[in-house]
Amino acid sequence: MAFLAVMEKEFRMFFRYPLRVVSSVLVGLVFLVQFVYFGQAVLGGRYSSILQASTGVGDYPTYALIGYVLWWVSVSPMEASVWGIRRELQRGTLESNVASPMGLLEMVVSLALSWMLMDSVIMAVVFLTGVIAFGVSLSWFALLKALPIVGLAFLAFLGSGLIFAGLVMIFKNIGPFAQIFEFLVLFISGVFFPLSTLPAWVVSLSKLIPLTHSANAVRKLFVGFPYSSVTGEVAWLLLLTPLYWLASYALFKWAERTARVMGYGGY
Amino acid sequence: MMPTIKVKDLRKSYPKRIPLPFRRVEWVEALKGISFKVRKGELFGLLGPNGAGKTTTIKILTTLLEPSGGSAKVLGYDVVSQAREVRRRINLVAEGERTLYWRLSAYENLRYFSNIYYVPKDEAEKRIRELLQLVGLWERRNDLVMGFSRGMKQRLAIAKALINDPEVLFLDEPTLGLDVQSALFVREFVERLVKEKRKTVLLTTHHMAEAERLCDRIAIIDHGRIIALNTPENLKRLVSEGETVEIRVRNLRPEKVKEVDGRLAVSEEDPTRGTLLRGNLDEEDLPRVVEGLIRAGAKVLSVERVEPTLEDVFIKLTGRALRD
Repeated sequence: MAFLAVMEKEFRMFFRYPLRVVSSVLVGLVFLVQFVYFGQAVLGGRYSSILQASTGVGDYPTYALIGYVLWWVSVSPMEASVWGIRRELQRGTLESNVASPMGLLEMVVSLALSWMLMDSVIMAVVFLTGVIAFGVSLSWFALLKALPIVGLAFLAFLGSGLIFAGLVMIFKNIGPFAQIFEFLVLFISGVFFPLSTLPAWVVSLSKLIPLTHSANAVRKLFVGFPYSSVTGEVAWLLLLTPLYWLASYALFKWAERTARVMGYGGY
Repeated sequence: MMPTIKVKDLRKSYPKRIPLPFRRVEWVEALKGISFKVRKGELFGLLGPNGAGKTTTIKILTTLLEPSGGSAKVLGYDVVSQAREVRRRINLVAEGERTLYWRLSAYENLRYFSNIYYVPKDEAEKRIRELLQLVGLWERRNDLVMGFSRGMKQRLAIAKALINDPEVLFLDEPTLGLDVQSALFVREFVERLVKEKRKTVLLTTHHMAEAERLCDRIAIIDHGRIIALNTPENLKRLVSEGETVEIRVRNLRPEKVKEVDGRLAVSEEDPTRGTLLRGNLDEEDLPRVVEGLIRAGAKVLSVERVEPTLEDVFIKLTGRALRD
């Protein structure tokens, strides 16, 4: 019930301001359009055989659109941790929540999930606009087939993003650092260009990012590959998800204890 | 009978920097071993100047802070090891006006807090209506909080703090920054809560008249220590009747006051009316003190014997006024 209450509150405060919703969609579209046209200019057209050979998806707008939408949603829990908790602090409402039986952990997880779902709504609009604007061929069956992978990816994104919840409680103003991290993820997880173009050590590093595997898997399923073609990606996600959750939980508990020594308000 | 709140040798130190492993950190002592008990249905006050340790005490009792030593129990539950049990049974009106969601309506705020306190839905609806009517905001229930006055926000904060029907209510400076009318409403409301609903209330304030009027017992706290604890009447008996003096002067630098007489303290500074000094002086000392003030360059405007207040108790015990 508390978890639903946090979600309802966040949705209400976000969607109450239509201008805020519209501007979020527009920001999403502006970045997408730039990247897609830039990519097509570099490739010399929308179709690339190199892309097809290395990723299984040769149509660049399809490739970029899926990666981009997933990237946006993947960094939501991180944003919720960094900016959502900070906003609660600025509002003076964090202590009111912490002092309730709900507790901090449930609040932070609910906040991260809320932001991820709100961003999913925004990205659904961006995705459909992208499909229409770039003439991406959309199969509803393929989309449905990708949903289980998207669900698993969401779990992994939540786990990795919550690491920042612990960090923000201790180091307070980590917004700029988080932004660098967000763009690093964008760069090394193969959102706009195939990983095969990057040095081997960066490719190895990218394996630790859940987005790399989820974007690959969703792209493959979207263009008609069977589930058997994404077992590697699913295995990586199944490995990374508990690892990130465990790391997040350990860091969060340490941070929570430290915050109770220093005071929640002392940010 | 078991006390509702039991605090024993409670200590709290804050690190000056984030206490990371392998980092040497200096600690500042905010509470230096305080002990007190609060009975059921009692309105207990913590009175002291800013930085005395009042808010730290309340934050420990509401499970927001972990003590460095000693113990604290609320309704028999330890505030550290049984924090969740404590949280279910208490609530808090925190200092400052930003404890609510301004972009939600009054009703939405209360519904949100009823949910995170796990109040059953039917019960919550009934309670939200009752509380909003009680604090006079039912007609404004659908308005966003951002449009409320400071007093309305505080009334809503009190309604929020009653949403789980707590057995113990903690109020941290509940009238700070309120206009006279709103402050009066809050004081009367708190009085009624204790008398009619038998709630146990722990209130912090640096407002002496408020503490004197509301509290059954008061602990005067200074520099992290309780320096006196009794009923307001008994506390005032620490200052003999007739010995409290108010002297209004002009042209006197505050730092000169202690040079004239250590028992005097600056109670009020007003650019138009002058500086008000207060102290507990014997009859025979008064002419010498007035003479000393004049010698220090002050223009003495008035000298008056007044009824002792809790501020005089504080001055007598610490040599300072509460505002210092």
